[in-house]
This record gives sequence, C-alpha cells and structure tokens, in this order.
Amino acid sequence: MALAASIIGAGASFSLADDIVITDHENREVRLPAPAERIVTIPMPMASGVIALDGSDSKLVGLNPLSLTAIREGILGKIFPEANNISDAVTSTDFMPNVEALAAVNPNLVVQWGGRGPEIVDPITNAGLNTLLIKYGTEDLTRQYMTMVATAIGKPERITELVEWRDKVEKDIAAKTAAIPEDERPNVLYLGRSLSDITASGSKGNYNAWYIDLAGGKNAAAELEGSVSINREQIAQWDPEVILLNSFEPNLDVSWVYDDPILSLTKAAQNKRVYKMPLGGYRWDPPNQESPLTWMWLADLLHPEVFDYDLRAEMKKAYKVLYNYELSDADIDGIIWTAQQGDAAGYDQFKAN
Amino acid sequence: MAATADGVADDVRHRWSRAGALAPFAVFTALLALSVLVSLCVGRFSVSVPRAIEILFSFITNPGRAIEAMDERIVLLVRTPRVVLAAFSGAALATAGVALQGVFRNPLVSPEVLGISQGAAFGGALAITLGIWGIPLLAVVFVSGLSALIFVGLLARIDGRTEIITVILSGMVVGSLFSAFVSLLQFIADPNSSLPAIVYWLMGSFATATWERVLISAPGLLIGMGLLWTLRFRLNVLSLDDAEARSLGARPELERWMIFGLVALVVGSQVAVSGIVGWIGLVIPHASRLMVGHDHRRVLPASAVLGAAFMVTIDTLARTVTAAEIPLGVLTAIVGAPVFALLLRRHYRDRSAR
Repeated sequence: MALAASIIGAGASFSLADDIVITDHENREVRLPAPAERIVTIPMPMASGVIALDGSDSKLVGLNPLSLTAIREGILGKIFPEANNISDAVTSTDFMPNVEALAAVNPNLVVQWGGRGPEIVDPITNAGLNTLLIKYGTEDLTRQYMTMVATAIGKPERITELVEWRDKVEKDIAAKTAAIPEDERPNVLYLGRSLSDITASGSKGNYNAWYIDLAGGKNAAAELEGSVSINREQIAQWDPEVILLNSFEPNLDVSWVYDDPILSLTKAAQNKRVYKMPLGGYRWDPPNQESPLTWMWLADLLHPEVFDYDLRAEMKKAYKVLYNYELSDADIDGIIWTAQQGDAAGYDQFKAN
Repeated sequence: MAATADGVADDVRHRWSRAGALAPFAVFTALLALSVLVSLCVGRFSVSVPRAIEILFSFITNPGRAIEAMDERIVLLVRTPRVVLAAFSGAALATAGVALQGVFRNPLVSPEVLGISQGAAFGGALAITLGIWGIPLLAVVFVSGLSALIFVGLLARIDGRTEIITVILSGMVVGSLFSAFVSLLQFIADPNSSLPAIVYWLMGSFATATWERVLISAPGLLIGMGLLWTLRFRLNVLSLDDAEARSLGARPELERWMIFGLVALVVGSQVAVSGIVGWIGLVIPHASRLMVGHDHRRVLPASAVLGAAFMVTIDTLARTVTAAEIPLGVLTAIVGAPVFALLLRRHYRDRSAR
C-alpha cells in the first residue's frame, strides 16, 4: 500500500507519445523523449543512488564533489573504479551549479534539490537543461525520488525490488519494536557533528530520529528544535545509553567518546555502546539505497534480544542486488568499522564466521 | 560651630569623592565574583548549588584529589576552565579595546579595525579546512592574526612615517582582504563537516574550553594584559596629539606599534581558543570610562574586571538558556549593541547638558 502510494505520489507514468513524464517534488512536469543516458546529480546521496538503480556507473556523468569523496572513501570506488573519475566540476559543494561545466558533460537530466529556493535551480533550467527536483528528509520522499530516477533511466522495474525491500524490512522491524515497552527503549543520541562543535537534532522531521524510533530507541535529543550545537554538559544531562557518531567526519572514531573526561562517564561509554555509522556504497546516516541495512544494523545493536538479522548475509545479498558485487568479509569489516569498534557491545554478532 | 560643621562637611565630601573613585571598582569586582560563582553553579547538568560549592571547596583544599564522579567532572573540568577562559578573554579583549581607543584617540576603534580579528579568523578557517585541530590550529590562528598586523604596518608606513589615518585605512584594507579569504574558504568548504565548523567557530564559543586550552591561551592573554597595564602612563600620553606627546618625551610611533603588537597577542590568543567574540572591546571600555573617567590608570583595570564579569555572564547565558549552545557573537551583539546605544545617548545628553 505504501509502495503504491509512493509510486502514485511520484507521479511516474508513460504518456501516449512514449515520452517519459515524471511529476517531481516541486510538482513540475519533467518530460524525457527517451530514457536518460547521461545524468548529473547535485544532491549528495543521489549519485550512488543512480549507480545502484542502474547497476552500473555508465549513466552518471557528473556529481557533487562530496559524492565523489564518499565514493573514494567508501567501497563504491572499488566496485566501480571508473566512478572515481566522474566530473565533479558541475557543482560546488553548496549545490550551486556550474552551468558551463554542466553543459560540457551534455546531460539528458540534472537532478537537483527542490525546496531550497530558485537560486540553485534557475541557472540549470535557464540553460535549457532538463531538471528533476527532489526533496529530502523522510522515507516516503526517499522512495519517491528513487522511483523518479529509476523511471527516468528507463528501469521502472528496478525500483520495485528496492522499494519492496525497504518496505519489507521497515514493516518487519516496526512489527517487532511495537511490542517493546517504553521503558525498555534505550535513549539514543545521534551526533551529526563531533570534532569542531557538537550537534544533535530534535525528532521533528529528522530522518536519524525516525530510524532510531523505528529500531526501538528513543531520541535522547528529542527536546531540540532542528539540528543545533550542544555542549558536553548537555550530553551528560541526557546521559544517553547509546551514542551514534556520524560517518561524514573521516577523522572521527569512537575513541573520541572514550577519551573524553565527560562523555566517557555516560551510560553509552560505560557500557561500550558507542558506534560510528558505517560507510558503504554511501554513508549510512542519511537515507539512501542501503538504508534497510542501516535499520537492521541499529535494530540488532539496540535490541539483540528481539532482532537477529544476519547483517553480513544481508549485506552480501544487498550488494549483489544493488551493485552486482560479491562483498568479501574484509569489505564488510571495512564498511562497519570492525577494526575501530569491533569490541563494542553487541558487535560480536557482526563477526565473520 | 558653623566652621566646624563646614569642616566636617568638607571631610565627608572628600571621603565621598575617594569612595566615589573606588566604588565602581568595588561594584565591578563584586559583579565579577558573583558572575563567576553563578556560572560555576548553573548549567544544563543539574548540580545543586551547595554541592557545586562543596566540590569547588574540596578541590581548593585538596587539589591533587582524583576527580571521579560526573558532577565533579562537570564542575571542575567543564565549567571551571570555561569560566576561567571566559574571564581571561573578556578582561583581555576589554583591555585591548581601551588601549586601541587610547592610541587612536577614537572611541569607535576595536581590534576589528586593525584587521587582527579577520586575520586570526582566516587562520582558523584555513586550519579547519585543512583538517588541523588542537594546538597547531592555535598556532596558525596566531601567526595569521600577527601577519595581518604586519601587513597593516607595512602598508601604513609611507616615506618612513606612519599616520594614524593610514593605519586605520590599511586596517580596513587588510581586514577586508582577510574577510574575503574567509569567504573563499567557506565557499569551498565541505557543507557536511568543515563549513558548519567554520561558521560556528566564526560566531565564537567557549564550548570547547578545557584546562589545556586555558594553559595554551593564558600566557598570551596575561602577558598582553600585563604589558598593556605597564604602558598605562604611555597611553595617557599617546591620547594627546603627536606633537604634544613628543614634547613629553614619548616616541609615539614606536610605542603605538608596541601596543598594536600586544593587542595582536591578546586577540590572537583569544580567537585561537574561542573564535571571534565581538563587541567586548568596544562596549566595555565605554562603560568603564563613564564610571571611572578617562585616566587609563583607572580605565584599564576597571575595563578588565568589567570585561571579565560581562563575558562570564554572557557565556553562562550561552550555555544554559536552551539545550542548544547559543553562539557568543550573537549574544554579545544582542546585549552589547543596545547597551552601547544607551551609553552613547546618555554620554552625549550629559555633555550637551553641561
């Protein structure tokens, strides 16, 4: 039902003239005479999304410089070596397109953020390029824009499989967590940034808070409005039982918590329940094609007595489907940071057999 | 009878005027003590006031004791270094403001005018962009702030002479240039990690205060303040015009640069550990002057104490009002600008009433 709704929501359909017509998140009609062969993605998570939806890196001709760093830091650059060379000159990291560089890669379709004002969109449309606008933040929006892009590249059948997987895992986890009483749900603190200043987010419309809830946790920072800077004293006051660190800061690992005089006294640190979010085909913190793996990883960690997902098997299966790639045990250990946090509470279950 | 009464009245009046000179110091010192005590006792983590005082007392009487419990760590490892750093920074920035305003004979001068803050800001932004943290970041900030000052010095020196006006204009030029460099770094920064770090850091915060940071910045702050204090007589002389100052045996240009160097030391040390904190160097000297007059021998210590009290109070608000840390620059401007406006109005009304 949710699947049907999301596809209708995305408004993907074929017109009589065999044009591909998509209604995007800004309610614009995007018309393609044929499946897009050359796509540029300016939103960061979308680059690896296009590769996953197509099963190859051949259609992605331009991306955000920060999508490229994720490809190079993560495993995608190893699976698709050519992806390391895709042009990142098409946009600056603040999503402002470079129209001449965009025109030079001659795209059929440019994917850009919607809901962030016309400044970053007008230059693309004024140049006469076909533009698809997507919005960020919820699971529904994610399914919708993945459906739009799958439709645009002429592989609408591909999305069914991926959305069904998301739907199945989400429902499975939700059904099991529904039975968990409120007082058995650990307080989980996700820190969006740590090294220079520390940020946390409230629950309203926040994707990280959403999957914390899905996996049977409570957002320790629920009282906040939006994503804001906080101090160590505030973390001590919340005293979270689990701390999740972002995968955006390459120099950040769990020792940041264990070496801190204040944070090391939190329940999370005392019970060794501090985890850095994995970095696979994309960073596992924001929504992307690998999100069900994020949810299973977190559910296993928060409620090992309820969940027994075989994460390694699930990852192998998913990477085969998403990237047609056979994950090795070493690959998995790299993605989930076994070397850095293998001795954390609950990480035993992720050990290679 | 009448004569005696007059004599008593004179005596009382005389005592009153001496007391009048000391009263502001007593008030400022009391404010500082109160702000420090309040700051150590309040925060997001609830530690009762008696417990906080007990922790402080036991630490003072037995400093070698191991700090184990969370409330002890919060008071001694989070709040105390933060209060100390805020107090030193507030005192030092206010002192620097007094010195610059004295040298330039202009009440609207602050470290920003000489481009030092922007130079230091560029150093910090560059370090964050390059992924440099900790002590190396502080070094980059200080060197960058000092180099801005040196640029100003070179630019302002024309035919072997340096005029006040060329110093101010050069400061504007160098400040703008460094601001542009900061913008450029923000433009290319990673919006997921380094950009928010740069933006947050430019708005100023003591959130990252530790004893280590206090030890890093304290020498620069204390030495800078101490040497500016030794130059208090010189500041009085430099407040006169150059010809008068020379006739009193001063060497205005050399002494001016000594003071600029000390200001760079103070501002660089502060920016390096807590980002840019505006307004203190402008508002506090004014408030002090209104209370104690224009003599630098009084304005300097009064500004230092009032600056420390003000900064500690602002920082207490920044970290306690909401669960989110409010950037200091926002609060100093919100509090500082209206106070400044009020002081200014009162000052000119009093003057026109004379």
